[in-house]
Amino acid sequence: MKKRIIVGLFLAVSLMMTACGGASDSKTTTAAETKAEAEATTAAGKEASTEKQEVSDVVKDAKAEQFSGAKNEEKKSMALFMSHMTNEFVKTLSSSVQKEAEELGYTGDSFKIYDGKNDVATQVSQIEQAVTLGVDGIIIEPVSTDGIVKAVKDAEKAGVKVVILNQRISDQNAADTFVGADNESTGAALMKKVMEDLDGKGNIVELLGPMGSDGQVGRSKGFDSVLAGYPDVKVIASDSADWDTAKALTLTENWLTSSDIQAVVAQNDGMAVGAAQAVKEAGLTDKIKVYGVDATSDGLNAIVNGGMTGTVSQGTEDQGKISADLCSNLIYGQSVPKEVIATNVVYTKENVNEILKK
Amino acid sequence: MNRKKINFKNYGIFVVFIVLVIILMILSPNAFAKPRNLINVVKQASINGVLACGMMFVIIAGGIDLSAGSVVALSGVVAAYLAQMQGIPIILPILGALGTGALIGLINGFGAAYAELPPFIITLATMSIVRGAALILSGGSPVFGLQEQFEGIAGISIANVIPILVLYFLLIAVFSGFILNKTVFGRHVYAIGGNSITAKVSGINVKSMLLRVYIICGVFSGIAGLLIASRTMQGSPTVGVGYEMDAIAAVVIGGVSMSGGSGKWYGTIIGALLLALISNGLDILGVSSNFQQIIKGIIIAVAVYLDLRGKKTSA
Repeated sequence: MKKRIIVGLFLAVSLMMTACGGASDSKTTTAAETKAEAEATTAAGKEASTEKQEVSDVVKDAKAEQFSGAKNEEKKSMALFMSHMTNEFVKTLSSSVQKEAEELGYTGDSFKIYDGKNDVATQVSQIEQAVTLGVDGIIIEPVSTDGIVKAVKDAEKAGVKVVILNQRISDQNAADTFVGADNESTGAALMKKVMEDLDGKGNIVELLGPMGSDGQVGRSKGFDSVLAGYPDVKVIASDSADWDTAKALTLTENWLTSSDIQAVVAQNDGMAVGAAQAVKEAGLTDKIKVYGVDATSDGLNAIVNGGMTGTVSQGTEDQGKISADLCSNLIYGQSVPKEVIATNVVYTKENVNEILKK
Repeated sequence: MNRKKINFKNYGIFVVFIVLVIILMILSPNAFAKPRNLINVVKQASINGVLACGMMFVIIAGGIDLSAGSVVALSGVVAAYLAQMQGIPIILPILGALGTGALIGLINGFGAAYAELPPFIITLATMSIVRGAALILSGGSPVFGLQEQFEGIAGISIANVIPILVLYFLLIAVFSGFILNKTVFGRHVYAIGGNSITAKVSGINVKSMLLRVYIICGVFSGIAGLLIASRTMQGSPTVGVGYEMDAIAAVVIGGVSMSGGSGKWYGTIIGALLLALISNGLDILGVSSNFQQIIKGIIIAVAVYLDLRGKKTSA
C-alpha cells in the first residue's frame, strides 16, 4: 500500500513536470512565431536570380487559380517531414514552410509536420503513414540521402507529389523537385569573404560539421576551391566539432594555445559562437576574426556584439516558402522547375541590420 | 623491494597519467608544455570533473545516473531563461539551475529508492524526459541574449591566470572528498553501495540515503549546466549529449567500482584530468577527432586494466 502511494506520488511529480513543460511550450512557440514572422520575407531578396523570378511568377499564377478553384473542389492536403526539430535552422525552415502553406489555404488538418528525430526508419514510416492517409503532396527534409529513396518512389507511385527540401536525395529523379541551398557555393562565398578580410594572407583554422555529412562535404569543397587561389594562407588546423557549440569552444581553446591564428572559419553559426567565446576568453577578439554559416539569430547576435565577423545566409526562409509554393503547384497539376537553389547572402556588421529589422 | 612494487601497481592510474603527460611534453614542448595550456587542461576537465563528482556518489552507492547529460541541458536552459530577463538578480539563474538539478535528482532518487526501479531504468527514463523538457522549454534552439553579469559566473579568470572554472572544480572535488571520507554520511554511502542489506540491518535508512545521493548528483549536474551556459553565454537544449558517459568514464578510470562500495575521490579527479589531457594533447598534435575516439577508448581500457591488476596483486 505504502509503496503504491509513493509510486503514485512519483508519477504525479513527473506529470507536473510535463505539465510545466507544456505550459511554457505554448509561450515559446508564440515567441518563435513572432520572430519567424518578423524575419520572414527576409529572403535573399537582393540578388534574386532570374530563375527565381520565374519561380515566383509561377507561384503567383498558382495562387490565383487555386483560390478560385478551392471552393468547389475537395480540400487538398500537404505534409512536411523534418529530419529533426532541435536547432534553430530546422525550426526556421519548418515554420516558414508552415506559414506559406497556411497562406495557400492548407490550414488545420490539411497541413501536418512530422519530426523524423534524426532517424531514417522513423522518417520512412512517417512518410508511409501519410501516404496511406491520402495526403496530396509532401515536402521532405531528408534524414538520409539514400534511406528514403524507396519511400519517395512509393509515394510517387501512389500519386503523391514530392518536394525534397534542403538536402538532395541520392536518386533525385525519384522526386518531383528539389529546393535547397548549394553548400559548395555557400562555403565558397564565406571563404571569399574571409580572404578579402585577411588580404589574402595569414593562418586560419576550420571548424567542420560531422565528417561525411552533406553540409560538411559541400562546404569544405567550397572552402578548398577558394583557398587554392591563396597560397599565402595556411590552414593550420581543420577538425570536426559536430555542429556543437561547447565542442567548438574546447577545440578552439586548444588551437589558440598552440598557434598564431588570424581567423576561425566555422561551417555553422553554432560552432562559430563557441569559437567566438574561446577567442574572447583568450582576450584576442580584436586579433582573430570568427566566421560562421546559416545566419541563425545567435550568430547574427554575435555579429552585432562584435564576437563574430561574418556569416552566410542560405536563404532559409526563402527555401521553406518556395518549397510550399512548389508543392502546392504540383498538387494542382502545374509544372515546376526541377531544382531551385536559394541565393547566398554574406552578412557582416555593415549589413546585419537589414536581416535583423525584418 | 616487494613493497615498492605493490605501491606502484596500486597507483596504476597515476602512472598512466604521468606517463601521458611526459609523452605529450616531449612531443609538443612548445605548445602542450606551456603553463597556459596546462592550466587549460585543468579548465577543460572542470565541467566533466564536476559531473563526475556527482556520478561518483551515485556509483559508490551502487547506482548510476544516465540523466546527468540531459540535466546539464535543462538546467542550462532554465538558467539562460532567467538570465535573459534584464535586471533580474544574478542569484536567480544560479538557483534556477541548481533547483532544476535537485528536482531531477529527487525524481531519480524517488524512482530508485522508493519505487524500487532499477537505477539504470529510472535514470534512462528521466534522461529522455529531461531532454524533451529542455527542447520544449527552449523551443528547440539556443536561448541567448543573456545579461552580461551572467558571463562572470564561469567565464572569468582570477588575476587573468587561473580560470574560475578550475576553482569550482577544485572546490567541488575537495568538498566531495571531505563528505565521503570525513563524515558519517560519506561512510554510509560506501556502506549502502557495498551491501545494502547489511547497511539496513545496521540501522542505516538506505532509502533516504539513496534519495540524498541522487539529489547530490542532480545538483552537481545542475552546476555543470550553469557553468556551460555561462561559458557559452547561451542555454542550449542539445548540449551535454553523452556527458554522462564521459562522467562515468572518469569515475571508472579513477578506480571506482561499477558495482559500488569502493573508490577514492582523488581517483575520479585524475580520471577527469586524464580524459581532458587526451583530447587537449591530441588536438594540439593535430590528431583528427575520429582517431581521438579510438585512442580514448584504448586508454580507458588500459587504465582500468592496470588499476584492476594493481588491486588484485595488492589484495
